[in-house]
Amino acid sequence: MSDYIIEMNHITKRFPGIVANDDVSIQVKKGEIYALLGENGAGKSTLMSMLFGMYEPDEGEIIIRGEKVKIESPNHATRLNIGMVHQHFKLVSNYTIAENIVMGMEPVKKGFGLFKTLDQKRANEEIRALSEKFGLEVDPTKVIENINVSMQQRVEILKMLYREAEILIFDEPTAVLTPQEIAFLLEIIESLRRDGKTIILITHKLEEIKKIADRCAILCRGKLIDVLDVKETDTKTMANLMVGREVNFSVDKPASEYGREVLKVEHLTVQNEDKFEVVKDVSFSVRGGEIFAVAGVSGNGQVELADAVAGLLKPSSGTITLNGKDITHASIRSRNLEGISYIPEDRQNVGLVMDLSLSDNLALKNYFKPPFSKGPVIAGDAFTGYSDGLIEKYDIRSGQGSETIVRSMSGGNQQKAIIAREIELDSSLLIFVQPTRGLDIGAIENIHRQIVEQRNKGKAVLLISLELDEVMNLADTIGVIYNGRIEKIADAKTLTPGEVGEFMMGVGGRHEKA
Amino acid sequence: MKKHDLIPFLTVLLSLILGIVVIALLGKNPFQAYYNLLQGSGLAPKASYAGHKGMITDFTSFLNALTPMLLASLSVLIALKAGLFNIGVSGQMLAAAFVATVLVGYSELPAVVAKPLVVLIGAAVGALVGGLVGYLRHRFNINEVVSTIMCNYIVQFVASFFINVFFVDPVSRQSKNIGAASRLTLVDTVVGDYKMDIPLGILVAAAAVAATVFLLGKTTLGFEIKAVGSSSRAAEYAGIRVGRTRVLAMMLSGGAAGLAGVTYYLGYFCSMQPRVLASTGYDAIAVALLGNSSPIGIIFSSFLITVISKGSTYMSSTAGVQAEMASALTGIILLISACGAYVRERLDRWKENR
Repeated sequence: MSDYIIEMNHITKRFPGIVANDDVSIQVKKGEIYALLGENGAGKSTLMSMLFGMYEPDEGEIIIRGEKVKIESPNHATRLNIGMVHQHFKLVSNYTIAENIVMGMEPVKKGFGLFKTLDQKRANEEIRALSEKFGLEVDPTKVIENINVSMQQRVEILKMLYREAEILIFDEPTAVLTPQEIAFLLEIIESLRRDGKTIILITHKLEEIKKIADRCAILCRGKLIDVLDVKETDTKTMANLMVGREVNFSVDKPASEYGREVLKVEHLTVQNEDKFEVVKDVSFSVRGGEIFAVAGVSGNGQVELADAVAGLLKPSSGTITLNGKDITHASIRSRNLEGISYIPEDRQNVGLVMDLSLSDNLALKNYFKPPFSKGPVIAGDAFTGYSDGLIEKYDIRSGQGSETIVRSMSGGNQQKAIIAREIELDSSLLIFVQPTRGLDIGAIENIHRQIVEQRNKGKAVLLISLELDEVMNLADTIGVIYNGRIEKIADAKTLTPGEVGEFMMGVGGRHEKA
Repeated sequence: MKKHDLIPFLTVLLSLILGIVVIALLGKNPFQAYYNLLQGSGLAPKASYAGHKGMITDFTSFLNALTPMLLASLSVLIALKAGLFNIGVSGQMLAAAFVATVLVGYSELPAVVAKPLVVLIGAAVGALVGGLVGYLRHRFNINEVVSTIMCNYIVQFVASFFINVFFVDPVSRQSKNIGAASRLTLVDTVVGDYKMDIPLGILVAAAAVAATVFLLGKTTLGFEIKAVGSSSRAAEYAGIRVGRTRVLAMMLSGGAAGLAGVTYYLGYFCSMQPRVLASTGYDAIAVALLGNSSPIGIIFSSFLITVISKGSTYMSSTAGVQAEMASALTGIILLISACGAYVRERLDRWKENR
């Protein structure tokens, strides 16, 4: 019998076209805080989803408390005293905290001595006691929709504790929190550990690992790179291990010839739908012939930044200037006409109208202009002719050519269609957000080539990507965004991937100051 | 033609077969009953006719009933294309008809002025009510299902108040009949040997269908409506003003409903019953869905549903099958057509996953 509470041995998990986990083995001791570190898509969440019974591994075995188990469902995982706090909380927003927590295993009493009813009072007391024990500061009678994200997260933690979880998995718990809330959460995690709980922390923030974790497993592209003792390792080494890998394909790029300034963003602040400041006082400019890449970990405000420039989000302060013209308050349509092309992150819900035909989608931004229409009347054949041309030029593959309903096309071809449409607008500024997410190598190379082509033509390119490789390969200038602020802007040639990675994790420039 | 465009036809076929089973269980001859429906709608000759009546008189009467159904379905369809659910067609119909009745129906205007004026007022009032619903959605994000239902009540009770207080006919307890000059149906017109009710409204309906086909297929506004209806986020991203498009779509939908209203209350009928909304507006939702949400499709579906309802009286008197059977048959068709939507959805998903 080993002294490990969890052993995952030689786990392999494949999804269509991708190996999410490739022969990964980790062992976690009882009572330790074990961190899983890796970039987006490194396979951390997949690995933990298997431990929580959401997927089954294709190969390998899972051993819990010395016993080999096949975890079939999250319910099964709960019975094995495993709990997980997901990135997206699973709460009923119009129920109280206590109701959410006890749901599925409610304390009951007999109403009028006959009917089983929820014993609200007992539920509240139990939750309050549990909350006090771990210092969670949760009032069980409050309703979910009236409490903030940090409190909701603590409700999720209580949900696990109420189910007597011994092994607690946190999936990127700090991604949605403010620094103060993060500090509070880390305290809570410490107190859970003191109570003998075993904690697995999925994260890509080095600071947090350094603060509380005992050991740290580093995953990269589905493979386990190393398991480190956190006390004996500095953050820089961890960052290097996490991102410092060989660049597998580089793009031919002639030396940059910058033209005039196309986009100028000054002191831009943007709030998201929850009135939370996600972009804070950001200033930068992009010139013609320049690829300005914004590097950053997911959820640090880069998507909102792009949306604000494209006009989908209204900035709360600051100015946006395009070709010398203030467009801060211009409509989306007028920005498009002024010269902005936008390849959005969510290609299926934002970039395309899935139930319309390919030809309609390719004309989505110029259907109102000649030759597509004359006044209010559309010329259908112009759509088809234009669409046929683009299908040929950009090699968009679809079942029935121009008439194909976009929904039935593959993700790669959908993206090709968006890029074709946006490039053909011949805008002076092109915004690419995550242009290659989820695509295969061939499609990625093709898109990279087109981005560079646009730059060589003298267009300004604003590239937002979570893939550090992509940023390093394509960028002329890199701006690193962390927590809504651009922490560093520098010529791409002067930065190493490791340095960019440190800025991405908010620990950049530490050694300079020291 | 795509494969699942056939689904509405299969739906109807299956419903008719179910109808046969039910009528046979009642001990009646189902084929005779169905033939009676056609006879009652003037689509097949009856055994005998009263004086000055004939197949053609039954058929024009059928067209009188078809006209508002077609326009009401068109109204539902336009809203659906913009992703909106217009439950308020009945209310919009009554509002339009009420204003047209009061302003023109009781006036002394000559027919050449009165009839076009009725059509214009009908469309304008309907568009106004529809536009209000669209504006509430755009400005305050009030779900159109809620606001249209509320509008139905408001229109219904405001109209009945005025009818009961000012315009009531003491004998019929309905609003006073409108003058013949403003009525969109030429009642008891003698053509050859026959006396018939000629619905001018069917021309309005035909024009509206043609206009809708053109709007959705050939105009930038139609393109915008379809884009907003399929994905408002993508439409917004493309620079389409989503709120404005929704308001315009609801105005057009309301306008069609208003036309349905005037052809119903100032055509097919000539008065309004207080505190009652025409069921046409609700039936139209199902008819629009049965018509595969296409302007041409709803010509067929509203035709079918009207045949069944219009022919039911003759069926009950001749075959002895209760007229309620017709409503039951309609119900079965609509129920199965709702399942058709489900089957289509499954087919699409199956295709996607392949």
